[in-house]
Amino acid sequence: MRRALALVCLLVLTGAAPYENAALDGEAFSRPIQGLNPAQSKSFRAGSGLFRQAWVIGPSLDHPDVVGLGPLYNRLSCIACHVKNGRGAAPDDAGGVARAMVLRLSKPGADAGRIAGRDPSRIAFGAPLPHPVYGAQLNPEGVPGVPGEGRAVLRYELFETKLADGTIVAMRRPRVAVEDLAYGPLEPETLTSLRNAPPVFGLGLLETVPEAEIVALAAQNGGRANYVFDIESAATKLGRFGLKANQPGLKQQIANAFAEDIGISSSLFPGENCTPAETACLDAAKGAPQVELTPAQLAEVLDYIRALAPPARRDLGDARVKRGEALFEASGCAACHRETLTLGPFAPLPALEGAQIHPYTDLLLHDMGDDLADGRGDFLAGPRDWRTAPLWGLGLAGKFGDAANFLHDGRARSIAEAILWHGGEAQAAADAFRKLGAPEREALLTFLDSL
Amino acid sequence: MARKTQNHTNPSRRSVLLGVLAASGALARPVLAQTATLQVVTSFPEELTTRYEQEFEKAHPGAHVQFVWKQSRDALEQLLRADQGGADVYWAPSLGNFPILRDRGALRALEVDRAVLPGKLGAQQLSDPSGFFEAYDIAGYGVAINPALLAERGLKTPRAWRDLAAPAYAGQIAMPIASKVGFSPALYDIVLQSEGWEEGWRLLSEIAGNAELLAQGAGPAGAVKEGRAPLGLTIDFLALQARANGLPVDFVYPQRAAFLPGHVAILAKTQHYDLAKAFVDFTLSRPGQRLMMETDSSRHPARPDAYEGKPASTIDPFALPASASFAYDAEIGRRRPGLVVALFEAALNEPHAKTVALWRAIHAAEAKRPLGGEAAAALKEARRLAGLVPVPAREAADPAFLERFANRDAIDPALTQKWRAELDAARTQARELLAGVGAAP
Repeated sequence: MRRALALVCLLVLTGAAPYENAALDGEAFSRPIQGLNPAQSKSFRAGSGLFRQAWVIGPSLDHPDVVGLGPLYNRLSCIACHVKNGRGAAPDDAGGVARAMVLRLSKPGADAGRIAGRDPSRIAFGAPLPHPVYGAQLNPEGVPGVPGEGRAVLRYELFETKLADGTIVAMRRPRVAVEDLAYGPLEPETLTSLRNAPPVFGLGLLETVPEAEIVALAAQNGGRANYVFDIESAATKLGRFGLKANQPGLKQQIANAFAEDIGISSSLFPGENCTPAETACLDAAKGAPQVELTPAQLAEVLDYIRALAPPARRDLGDARVKRGEALFEASGCAACHRETLTLGPFAPLPALEGAQIHPYTDLLLHDMGDDLADGRGDFLAGPRDWRTAPLWGLGLAGKFGDAANFLHDGRARSIAEAILWHGGEAQAAADAFRKLGAPEREALLTFLDSL
Repeated sequence: MARKTQNHTNPSRRSVLLGVLAASGALARPVLAQTATLQVVTSFPEELTTRYEQEFEKAHPGAHVQFVWKQSRDALEQLLRADQGGADVYWAPSLGNFPILRDRGALRALEVDRAVLPGKLGAQQLSDPSGFFEAYDIAGYGVAINPALLAERGLKTPRAWRDLAAPAYAGQIAMPIASKVGFSPALYDIVLQSEGWEEGWRLLSEIAGNAELLAQGAGPAGAVKEGRAPLGLTIDFLALQARANGLPVDFVYPQRAAFLPGHVAILAKTQHYDLAKAFVDFTLSRPGQRLMMETDSSRHPARPDAYEGKPASTIDPFALPASASFAYDAEIGRRRPGLVVALFEAALNEPHAKTVALWRAIHAAEAKRPLGGEAAAALKEARRLAGLVPVPAREAADPAFLERFANRDAIDPALTQKWRAELDAARTQARELLAGVGAAP
């Protein structure tokens, strides 16, 4: 009761909800929700350390608790891609190596896939079928003696588009080339999906939104829920996380990222991420423990991610923001970027159950059109589908050290550019934006900047 | 063998044709030369190394920089192997490793322009005089402070190491555990060199009596920036990064502070000498040195001209008066971490709760003034016993003795057990003396 009262007092004093972070500084995406008890705070700090930790090649005298890097991996730490817990950086207009990004790989035409290189009894029905040689994603790095798989290099097609009032907006379309392929060519039919690292704050709140509320939204806006394989329960569950909503919960999302991006195994993803063709990887993995991220470490990272607060909105009383918010709704954006969702039971802070949050997402899949399509299904997500991206914190992107690169592959350098890429079910909203006069357009962008 | 390049585009209806065209364009291109991978062993954080990777690869399109992240002991194990694990460059803050690698013939000589890279800070040698490793950055050691929290608690900003021992700071300091936090043996050795061996340990004991001991390197600066402690013993860039990110943190370089270098070197067995040299040259160039001054690194270059145009809040160690710091003896310092860690563990970490109680009792007794002659003498002796170090100064400066602690996992347990017994006896005696003046902990 006292904690609940304290949370109410906090809202009155700062104007921010207790699950929001109101401080505008370089830790804008790195603070916990208010009201954690000392044990939760301690676990949050431990998880923060692990999220920043560069994992090492074992055995290690200095860091026996964080060994197991690779043998194949993308980067050494979580924070390397989720820069300051925000977005990763896509290469600049000159193009270059996609560092804070992953290139997903799969074979077409399959509706069931084994989790690459892992327990063969675990079959994720509906997941993309990993590439038989390169696995589920391209790992550009290998520990010494293990060739990295290759490097995804971006080049951009730069062009301009004209809005109704004559304003020119610069656009860029990414082209991916895979260089230095170490294990043979990728067949022309290989499916690829380039993904930029998304922000990681506020996810604990999204995890608690009742499934019924999300499903009900689908009936209103034409979105579709993804139903995906939950490893721990070996059952099908609602997908909430990942750019195609292909992960049912944060624990699996985090463990999957450790496995695929850093090569760190866990209870959910035991064993190393080598395919049978990657013999040097298999050799390097001999003797490695089946579980490198201990259950306690996974729990700490989970506690950290669950408790990371989204930034509080700013300038709520500003007339242009209010005008922009109205245009956001009138243009149809709010149909999918739902302002408000309700929290279900929230373990870190039970007092928050029933509170309303404002993530601007419906957690549903929508057809986003040809230009954004990756041509690759994922459980029930179709080749043109993406999950509605939460917009909270949008206005702070790029202001405190993370990158201001938007959309699933980071192609958009501005929010206007991101809006103009919307197609499919969002085409009408993008067209409405295109037709706005300059004052209205600026109001809409000012509103988005306040999130 | 040259590897192949393939282009991939999203196979949406409209882009399939574009993708096919792009792919055929790629096939028509001349086969690219294989990218050369430069292996750099480092313990610098990814925020820093990624910037060098980006900028170096931009300038050298045929190169791929791969960082193998290892702290001192792991790095030394790899780099002393016959093939050095395939590494080309060693780039790290490790006072101990570079001279060992030099002496074992594991490094190649560097060519450095002394007109722009002095290799010295005042009288203090930063770089290898024989030219096998060069200073990359210099890090100051001192106290992260939270000015608002200090003001709120009515505390003054400390200006010297000995200020931290004041009773007013009881429970106000976050302090790293030497065996857990890589930079902390150097931090404590700076206090020991600055104050003298015996007096330094007495001071560290008294400061530990005021402090919470933390096992993570980011802990002390983290505690300060999050407002959990107003003071944290740390390395400057951890506090300066927080300040640069807008957090309410500042950093105090205590009187007789010291700046210690991180180094860069080319490894003897490199198979990519030209590329390794280019990378080292880049890290030492003016643009390369300025990368470390960016917000999320906030480090101090070892190259004076990198400070031109610096923000006013950034100090230039090369422009400080000689009196602001002292010339840290790295030759002794590099041999001492093992001993400092072992002593810190036995004297301060393991008996921390007792250390806190003992110093609080001493401070409480000293606060009861005026003290009689006998009581004053007893308290003086209790103070000496509470801060006793069981290793004399001459041994702490003897390379042969220090060598016994070079391998932290092979320290003679009989010796550390003897220390524990001496420490325990001294503290028991101190408690008895305190009891005799009515101030038992």
